[in-house]
Amino acid sequence: MAYLSISNVTKQFGDTVVVDNFNLDIEKGEFVSFLGPSGCGKTTTLRMVAGFEIPTSGKILLDGKDITDKAPNQRNVGMIFQSYALFPNMTVSQNIGFGLRVRKESEATIKQRVDEMVGLINLEKHANKYPYQLSGGQQQRVSLARALANRPQVLLLDEPLSALDAKIRVSLRAEIRAIQKSLGITAIFVTHDQEEALSISDRIVVMNVGEMEQVGTPFEIYNFPKTRFVANFVGSLNTSDAEVVDPAKGFVSVDGVKFTAAEGTENRKKGDKVKIAIRPERLSFASEHKKANVVDATIENITFLGSVVRIQVKIGNTKFNMDTFNNPFLELPRVGSKEQVTCSKEAVLVLDE
Amino acid sequence: MNFSSRLRRIPFWSWVWFILGTLYFLLPLYATLDFSLQMERDVIGLKAYEKAFEDKDFIETFTYSNLLAIATIVMSIILIVPTAYWIRLRLPEARRIVEFLTLMPFVVPAIILVFGLIRIYSSSVMIPFTDIVLIPPLTNYKFGTNILVVAGYMVLAMPYMYRSVDTGMRTVDVLTLTEAAQSLGASWFTIITRIILPNIRAALLSGALLTFAIVVGEVTLASFLGIDAFGPYLFLLGQHRAYEPAALSFVSFILTWIAMGLIQLVTGGQGQTTGAH
Amino acid sequence: MAEIALPTKKKSIFSSDLKKWLGVMPFFLFALLFLILPSLRLFVGSFTNEEGQFTFANVTQLFTEQSILDAYWLSIRISAVTAIGGGIFGFLLAYSVTVGGLPRSLRSALITFSGVASNFAGVPLAFAFVATLGRTGIITAVLDHYIFQKYFGIKLYQTGFNLYSFLGLSLTYMYFQFPLMVLIMTPALDGLKREWREAAENLGATSLQYWTQVAMPVLLPSLLGSMILLFANAFGAYATAYALTGGTLPIVTIQIGAQIRGDVLHNPGLGYAMAMGMVFIMAVSLAGYSWLQKKSERWLK
Repeated sequence: MAYLSISNVTKQFGDTVVVDNFNLDIEKGEFVSFLGPSGCGKTTTLRMVAGFEIPTSGKILLDGKDITDKAPNQRNVGMIFQSYALFPNMTVSQNIGFGLRVRKESEATIKQRVDEMVGLINLEKHANKYPYQLSGGQQQRVSLARALANRPQVLLLDEPLSALDAKIRVSLRAEIRAIQKSLGITAIFVTHDQEEALSISDRIVVMNVGEMEQVGTPFEIYNFPKTRFVANFVGSLNTSDAEVVDPAKGFVSVDGVKFTAAEGTENRKKGDKVKIAIRPERLSFASEHKKANVVDATIENITFLGSVVRIQVKIGNTKFNMDTFNNPFLELPRVGSKEQVTCSKEAVLVLDE
Repeated sequence: MNFSSRLRRIPFWSWVWFILGTLYFLLPLYATLDFSLQMERDVIGLKAYEKAFEDKDFIETFTYSNLLAIATIVMSIILIVPTAYWIRLRLPEARRIVEFLTLMPFVVPAIILVFGLIRIYSSSVMIPFTDIVLIPPLTNYKFGTNILVVAGYMVLAMPYMYRSVDTGMRTVDVLTLTEAAQSLGASWFTIITRIILPNIRAALLSGALLTFAIVVGEVTLASFLGIDAFGPYLFLLGQHRAYEPAALSFVSFILTWIAMGLIQLVTGGQGQTTGAH
Repeated sequence: MAEIALPTKKKSIFSSDLKKWLGVMPFFLFALLFLILPSLRLFVGSFTNEEGQFTFANVTQLFTEQSILDAYWLSIRISAVTAIGGGIFGFLLAYSVTVGGLPRSLRSALITFSGVASNFAGVPLAFAFVATLGRTGIITAVLDHYIFQKYFGIKLYQTGFNLYSFLGLSLTYMYFQFPLMVLIMTPALDGLKREWREAAENLGATSLQYWTQVAMPVLLPSLLGSMILLFANAFGAYATAYALTGGTLPIVTIQIGAQIRGDVLHNPGLGYAMAMGMVFIMAVSLAGYSWLQKKSERWLK
């Protein structure tokens, strides 16, 4: 029996179905991300777990108990908001102790737990400051401590990093993950940022317009996207129209240029219109070592992106991006020159049109 | 269940407060309207309005008050727009002191202002320690009194006019607009008339309407400076008539309503209030 | 070189500074002539005796002259009553259209109402209240007919109620006081973030705990500040009181008006001191308001 079990949950606002038949089992101590564009229903699902929304149908079980209709202040679930939602009239300590105070814990317990939490987020020096005196990153750490002070059964994080600067975002994300692991707490993390989801999660649920597209580890989601939406949304991707030439051998053709795919053609017929997708980092120059696919390409454009050099090549009539790691000894071809480009069979994803 | 869903039930107390507020707001208006329609015994009619509008003194004082309002608006714009613009553009260090001065009329209410104005300008203003007359006694002749009244009204309207213009300039970012226009080779005259003024016209209009609402029925300055404006006229009319003042009060209310409605319209709901009576 | 270069540089800074300040000179001149000089005249006058010498007598007399103390006390009471009454009522109205759950359309109606009503004062307002609660007013008649004569056998005006009294003037002032409160408190209530309530619930708080421990403390500076503003608003009011009572209710502004018309205190200096006392109270109130407002903005931005 899973620790948190969301089964057949549907949420409608009027006639609009925001979450459609959502099913997910989360194990104790697991870190799960809901990933998707805005309006995909990820936040609504999270809010149903928190109790701010009541599902139109379906059940939510936490540690075997049905919490579907329980009031938010009756569940022991911690929530972190994008806007921090710290109480502006309370100091850091008072904010952290709020949940314990309203539960009428003893002063000694409150003090001891607050000190422990302030230490956990390394804000001992700021314990008596007010939220407006803290930076965004510090405020979100206080918010994390406030949620954890109640020892919640599940921690819910609603885009907690979206309002922060890029650098703070990366460091705080690591901090959140470290704290989650050390406490062994079950967490659901909502984000629209694929890099965030990939880096922090045990499992990712990719969502689109109210439906679950794919559930899997970051590795599976990135390398084996099951739908075109997932392939497109996670990581960058070259896509191109193609036609199945030989379903059995995995041959497809892009403007007459032949590619071999490892799978995805077996259930199709010759002449079927499909899309193929190749990640930029899977393409490389054939001069280094050759893989299953070797095609002629023209260099169109070269963009320096720091750690990566992005080379735009034209294969047939379609432009593809090809990413190469930067190094000082890299020999780049000239724009306009003809080169051979290669990728493995597994790199060619065949998707529905 | 939980209190977000509890709130979605019929908010009983909210309705109670709202209805009480509406009653407080509407009953005096209804009473005034009802009273103003009963000039003739047993007939509901507009007789009081006819009588009031026919009165020569009404027409004169009302016209005069409107002229004063226009003069106040024009002079305020001439004084405040360049000041606010200059502060945004070249002299941000003057912001605090100018803002402080524009808020001073809140501390010095109309009755105190007119007290001081009368004490200063009912005699000649001299250059200190000399016999040279700087300003002759303004209250002694009509033109001087008019200057004094308009200046007084400009002071009363200053907090609203300045805030309105300054907010307008901030929202359109006049500094960047000016620099863009300059880089495209526009002259100062072009910048002010073609770029700045059109871009703050909603702010100007809302400031102007508010000034209008303050000036047209104003009674304190007008009566102490002894001018025949609409406010003192309405007050005197109330001393010996019953129905016409009610009719004119209702009309005043409608005028205030129109002015405020227009402000809501031009500022997109960001209405202002004078809050100084 | 440096010794020669320095003064020229200084001079150019000075002249460009002067030019910059010239741009705001018309405004300063205007403020000097029509705002500062008149105020200064009253200020100086309040420390001058009839022979033109410096004195504290006027200011000390403010505190010994019973009629002046009465006037201040009456003004303070009326202002405080209408500030607290109008403040509470205005807050409840603002609450009902923001977090109180009334339809959105009522909110814009109320805001428009309030914009109009808070600007509707002076003679027309006084007349409107005469038509409502005056001796022959409509509400007076209705109350007489349905309540007072029916149950008590007397008329409203026989109970001692009078529109031209403390209570009557307060009711009239309320007409512009509570709408002003609505206009100030609506944005403050909007500043209460939904997330605060959700965070409080999420941490186990009840609705009551949220209101007493989060919402009210957050709103308190704004609430107090607004009431102080309402106090000042009523304290400085003259036209409405004069039009309604014709000068029979001796509040400070009415007394000052009488002093302007003809030295009723028989001491011009005392009149100036009385005016200055009023400015002092207004200044303290508005300073309090702006201090509390700043505190509140820090929380509710």
